[in-house]
Amino acid sequence: MDKIIVENLSKAFGSSGVLHDLSFSIREGEFLSILGPSGCGKTTILRILIGLESPDSGAIYKDGKEITRLPPYQRNMGIVFQNYALFENMSVLQNVEYALLKSSSTKAEYNPSTARSKAKLMLDIVGLTDHLSKKPRELSGGQQQRVAIARTLALNPDVILFDEPMSALDVDTRLSLRSELKELQKHFGTTMVYITHDQEEAFALSDRIMVMDAGVIHQLDTPHNLIHHPADDYVKCFVIKNIDIKINSLIQYAQRREEFL
Amino acid sequence: MRSGGLSVRKWSPAASLKLLLCCFWLFSIILPLLRMLSTIATVDVASVITARKFSRAFSHSIAASTVSTMISVVLAGILSWCVARTNIRHKTILNTLITVPMLIPSISHGMGLIIILGANGWLARLLGLTGGIYGFWGIVIGSVMYSFPVAYLMLYDVLLYEDATPYEAADVMGLKAADRFFAITFPYLRKPLISVVFAAFTMIITDYGVPLMVGGKYTTLPVMMYQDVIGMLDFGKGSVIGMILLIPALIACILDMANRDKGNAAFIGKPYTPKDNRLRDTCAILIIGFLIVLIFLPIGSFAVLGFINKYPIDMTLSLSNITQAVHMGALKYLCNSLVIASVVSVFGTALAVFNAYMTARNKTKMSYVLHLMSITSLAIPGIVLGLSYVMFFKKSPIYGTFAILFLVNSMHFFASPYLMAYNTFGKINENLEDVGSTLGIPHFLIIRDVLLPQAAGTILEMVSYFFVNCMMTISAVSFLSNVNTKPVALMITQFEGQMQLECAAFVSLLILVVNIIMKYAIFLIKKKLS
Repeated sequence: MDKIIVENLSKAFGSSGVLHDLSFSIREGEFLSILGPSGCGKTTILRILIGLESPDSGAIYKDGKEITRLPPYQRNMGIVFQNYALFENMSVLQNVEYALLKSSSTKAEYNPSTARSKAKLMLDIVGLTDHLSKKPRELSGGQQQRVAIARTLALNPDVILFDEPMSALDVDTRLSLRSELKELQKHFGTTMVYITHDQEEAFALSDRIMVMDAGVIHQLDTPHNLIHHPADDYVKCFVIKNIDIKINSLIQYAQRREEFL
Repeated sequence: MRSGGLSVRKWSPAASLKLLLCCFWLFSIILPLLRMLSTIATVDVASVITARKFSRAFSHSIAASTVSTMISVVLAGILSWCVARTNIRHKTILNTLITVPMLIPSISHGMGLIIILGANGWLARLLGLTGGIYGFWGIVIGSVMYSFPVAYLMLYDVLLYEDATPYEAADVMGLKAADRFFAITFPYLRKPLISVVFAAFTMIITDYGVPLMVGGKYTTLPVMMYQDVIGMLDFGKGSVIGMILLIPALIACILDMANRDKGNAAFIGKPYTPKDNRLRDTCAILIIGFLIVLIFLPIGSFAVLGFINKYPIDMTLSLSNITQAVHMGALKYLCNSLVIASVVSVFGTALAVFNAYMTARNKTKMSYVLHLMSITSLAIPGIVLGLSYVMFFKKSPIYGTFAILFLVNSMHFFASPYLMAYNTFGKINENLEDVGSTLGIPHFLIIRDVLLPQAAGTILEMVSYFFVNCMMTISAVSFLSNVNTKPVALMITQFEGQMQLECAAFVSLLILVVNIIMKYAIFLIKKKLS
């Protein structure tokens, strides 16, 4: 089942970038990564999907209905930004509570006490029960990102977009957050679209990966097919070579470490 | 057609708000200024400029301002180094004391000087000096006292935020102190120093309070402009001088912008921590102590003078000056000032916040135009703005009312608070509005509940800046106020004309007390917030 269908999407972005006539679909409940170097237009796609920007031409359908010109809050989608975008003047708990009480999609359902228990529940799921009354600046980067995820999940969107959510975090935090993200997806069954320029991350997380460069899609396929049936040289180079290099250097590192010990 | 949303469209509500603001700037700054400059076409500029009186005032202005700027910046440099680069304690208190002179009008500095070193000044008598301090040196000393805290604050900030890593590298290389200064400190200071020098120079050359009080026959350009406009109603000649006074301010503004856009955004590697050095700290304390005494000498003097019957004939303590000042309307004018300062601090802050939101958090090409218009006031001296307003608004209904004073003060002091808001908004997470719109939280709620609370400290500082400056300004308002709307600071000019120094001292003291109360209130509120 296709959750989102994008048809002939074009958009000029930044000072020179252009998205060229893109068509693709996102399946219900899948984890899709958009992989490409910075400046290739992946963030622009994300912003168009959620409605923060409009395309110059083309159409977007969600659950069979056109949403191209719908404002963001009517699309029932959520987004997690790289820099978290938390409400710095509010506590962790208030960040989630405030969203529940003020959002046009949920404010009718909640009163202050139900919002509080829902917020606590969401923060418990992401493992922040011990930090409810802290301000965001008192948390680590990984914890801040968990608050942002809890705040987005609380509104119950059926699609969540991630804009390079881990690029500011250290390796250990990335690894643990990665597996938690997979857990969350299983738990809620939410469709997730994940932007990254890190091949390894894309391969570790995704059901399918969309390889992009300079505003065009080179291949949208499963990790297995990307490796075994790359569509063109770009995919071969960018995806496979990079991973090979990383794997090789890891192997070398491990060997040297053993020799040293 | 879709309405609203945050999507980038050719036309949006934000764009029309920006257009509205641009129109506002057009009518409140650009057109008045052009109106003044257009007068010049009707004046025989050559004859004004070549007149002996003018060329003398011009060279007086340049000479006095250059010398004052040099002394002021050097003193500020020494003092800021003494505070920022030593391990002395109570730095907050020291900073507060050093900046107290920023809370009184420039004319009060001149007055303090007369009380100390004038023909009958107590120190002059003590030292047996005759003739008084009037003239070149009077202007220089007065201007230094008035401009030095501003230069101090700028330099202190620069020294405080200097990266310490180059110094650590220098230590590793074993560089000598002198080499360190010329290899690291001086190149780092060069750019900010240029800004400080021009800021101080502009402040001094456009000021008429100090030269009016202690200049004597040594007439400077602003005093000449003041006399031409107020005394002889010669707007044409006033405009020519106004145009000339715009030049240094314009250069300062351009330099400042050029500097601001590049270097200052650099992040701090590591703050500088001074090493332990007893001798250095002791010397610093002595220098700081000495300078603070100098700073408080004039303030202390007029605090005493305000309560003396008739200096130096009758030295008995009395409240007669207060009674006389009150009799002449001090309380009424104080109320005027409080009304003006309160309205401007609310209106000016609201306008600056709104404006900064449109330029810092809703960036389009129009934001840039709006930004430039918002900082124009930085380049317009108060008396020039005042004269422009007289000529532009003369036939409008707001002329002669409080409204024009609200407007002129809001514009005159706009740039600094605006830049504070602009910088703060620029630092707050850029995705807040986006996250709000994807969560379905209305835009105005995000501004009210998230953005403004995060900027609360800055907003309070802006309120305080507008308030304090409105309390002490005598420049723009001197052309625009009348018997009913006169602010209390202008009583000092009036008393000066009538040689009633005691009453003028009392009024200065009044302004100082009000401003200290305001500063303290803001301090308490900020403390409560954090």
